[in-house]
Amino acid sequence: MSSREPLIRLENISKSFGKVQANRNVTLEIIEGKILALLGENGAGKSTLMSILAGQMLPDAGTIYLGGKPVQFSTTEKAISAGIGMVYQHFKLVDAMSVAENVFLGQKSGFWLKKKKMARVVEQLAGQYGMKVDPGARISDLSMGERQQVEILKLLHRKSTVLIFDEPTAVLTPNEAENLFATMKIMVKKGKGIVFISHKLEEVMTVADNIAILRRGEIVDKVAASDVSSTAELAERMVGREVLLQVDKEPVEPRQIVLRLKKLSGPGLKKINLELRQGEILALVGVAGNGQKPLVEAICGLSKPPPDTVTILGMEWRKFFRKAEWDNALSYIPEDRQGLATCQGLDLLDNFLLTTRGGFTKGPWLQKELAREKASYLIKEFDIRPPDPAIFAWQLSGGNLQKMVLAREFFRKPRLIVAEQPTQGLDIAATEDVWNLLLKAREQAGILLVTGDLNEAFVLSDRIGVMYNGKIVETFDTDNKEKLDRIPQMMAGLAVA
Amino acid sequence: MFHIRITKRQEPLSVGGSCLVLLSALILSLLLSGLLLFFRGTPPVDGIVTLFQGAFGSRWAIEDSILKAIPIFLCSLGVAIAFRLQIWNIGAEGQFALGAIGATWVALSFPQWPKIALLPAMVLAAAVAGGGWGMIPAILRQRLKTNEIIVTLMMNYIAILFLEYLVYGVWKDPTSFGFPMTPEFSEQAIVGKIGTTSINWGLAHCLILGVLVWGFFKFTRTGFEVKACGDNVRAARYAGLPYDRLVVLVMVLSGALAGWAGFLEASATVNRLQPSIMVGYGYTAIVVAWLARLHPLSIGIASFLLAGLRVGVENMQLDLQVPAAFGGIIEGLILLTVLAGGLFTHYRLIRGKK
Repeated sequence: MSSREPLIRLENISKSFGKVQANRNVTLEIIEGKILALLGENGAGKSTLMSILAGQMLPDAGTIYLGGKPVQFSTTEKAISAGIGMVYQHFKLVDAMSVAENVFLGQKSGFWLKKKKMARVVEQLAGQYGMKVDPGARISDLSMGERQQVEILKLLHRKSTVLIFDEPTAVLTPNEAENLFATMKIMVKKGKGIVFISHKLEEVMTVADNIAILRRGEIVDKVAASDVSSTAELAERMVGREVLLQVDKEPVEPRQIVLRLKKLSGPGLKKINLELRQGEILALVGVAGNGQKPLVEAICGLSKPPPDTVTILGMEWRKFFRKAEWDNALSYIPEDRQGLATCQGLDLLDNFLLTTRGGFTKGPWLQKELAREKASYLIKEFDIRPPDPAIFAWQLSGGNLQKMVLAREFFRKPRLIVAEQPTQGLDIAATEDVWNLLLKAREQAGILLVTGDLNEAFVLSDRIGVMYNGKIVETFDTDNKEKLDRIPQMMAGLAVA
Repeated sequence: MFHIRITKRQEPLSVGGSCLVLLSALILSLLLSGLLLFFRGTPPVDGIVTLFQGAFGSRWAIEDSILKAIPIFLCSLGVAIAFRLQIWNIGAEGQFALGAIGATWVALSFPQWPKIALLPAMVLAAAVAGGGWGMIPAILRQRLKTNEIIVTLMMNYIAILFLEYLVYGVWKDPTSFGFPMTPEFSEQAIVGKIGTTSINWGLAHCLILGVLVWGFFKFTRTGFEVKACGDNVRAARYAGLPYDRLVVLVMVLSGALAGWAGFLEASATVNRLQPSIMVGYGYTAIVVAWLARLHPLSIGIASFLLAGLRVGVENMQLDLQVPAAFGGIIEGLILLTVLAGGLFTHYRLIRGKK
């Protein structure tokens, strides 16, 4: 640690949403001239922590020190004027305006726009940090990398001293990413402090000076990048091994094949082969962004795979989705409960009917009373609170909403289940419930479990597949100790299949 | 120092609360209207009183308001179906014109048919013409990714010009001394009046169609699917709902209802086709649909109120020389205050110390 006072010091920051603790006693220092990488799975609490730092929300407990003095960022303006700037994943630029206009946007100056002066200032600033962007160009004509440079210029022009990058390379080409790293190096040389949020291990190794790893809301590790020997070591630290929770798994005899992928390729996917049988849980693990999302979307009907690559319940993809019955078929439990699995503006009964409507149709009519009975029964059975089918989906907490989705999807008696991060954001008790439900469903169904939580994969699955760079690196039985130990290497793309 | 914080409501606003918000918004819009009257030198209280008397102050006034509410209600009912799916049909005016044209074609072509055959045939022609006119923007939206707001709006002008082309040209009454209108419909092609009132049987059509639309959303699977798609398109895709087909369906239904209104206006109100039936009911219908939050019963109430506003402003025009455009201004003010009142249904304001 440096002997100098850090730019920002977070001390014992805690924040919870309902029963879910998003951050627990997080202590971090952002040091002048250093790049701090914040590493963690989706839902580990990175975004919450940075939202607190950017003044979007107040912590429940803990203090932020700015140059040694305690401060409270109750609004984003306060954080900005304290020199904290954030480059969001989704850029906040005005597409119809020029680069220079965007850089100056929202800053108090005279009434008249001085176009030439603005352009000169922006050009100079860009030059200082090794960026090449035309100040007169319109945002809508720029590439993602150039747009990001404009975001950075905005912060530099406001004289931000701490810059937070939220997964900045997610939208960049490899070449653009290289340029970004170069710019970041110049910035720290000029005395800025940088926080770099990512789950791409190689990048973190290349660019970071210090690495902090978040898991389930807590900092589990702080290391200097120079002390980390390999990306595999990082992966290991990131996913952890400690068993938080154990549930009993009865063996079930695998039966017929419910899902078969044959050389499935597409955007983000490279020749995926996979077979899933009724009675087994196949966990797909890997660092987020290595093809899990496009794979799930192709299987569940949200994007169209090439012909004859996906076979569900013995039917080619097109035939399956043309004929799909509401029950005894496919249930998809998506990660995005609010945006994809439910209609927030409708009540629980209507949300229950969303995928089960086929079972409550008589001619043109919807049998609402029958559905209400069933929904009320399920709400009781799954202990969804508040227990009222007339309540709106937006009024439910994350955990209860997830239970609602599970209740609905299991009611369809699926033979194939695709469950995506099913316990993300849930507390321990709810997680245990969900795990038991999945194990019970396994007796009737084949389950494809996409998870970032290795412990979840170990507890639930019969087989594990590791995804890296759009491919399934290897698939093996969960009791194969030797392979399990090599999962971190496989996740980092180091293992030869 | 006191300041006000805005936070999102965790519970929906109670029914009483909603009514209070709506009432306050209406009162506020009237106060603002009064202020405008005051600035142009008209005594505001007299002005508002004249407005209300003209709209609801006598049997004749109420009948006239109901008469104007009929086409507004049907257009609004149609618009509301499309809005439920978040398809912004601004084209009720044009679909209304096409409906009137379709009905007129049947009335002029088969004037001798008995009433029991002719009127249903006119309704059918109106619904098909209006619905077909509504289907075009839906198809264009799907095939060419056009924006339905712009297409429906532009198609209004085409429809109105087409109507004028017909009444100035091929359908012009040779005995009309050059006025742009078709010959008067035969007796069998006219929807009659209820008893001794000046209100026509179109009111009964409104009741029946209103109940049907309400039942469609409440009890049918397709109605549910429209509601779900309108709330969250991504969830609709997730659940395998036929979004594209529903877009076409709601636009056809929407256009058919506006067309029905066009039929009633031509058959019952003016007994012929003439350009004077195009007075902007299709646009008022959009305001009504929003005021009523797309609910059929509320659409009925809001149609009556805004129709009354039209009638009442005529009274102000005669008695106080207030320009007719003032009606449009009040209509706009009501819409703005009610929409602004929507803030209170989703958020609560908390006063607290800084």
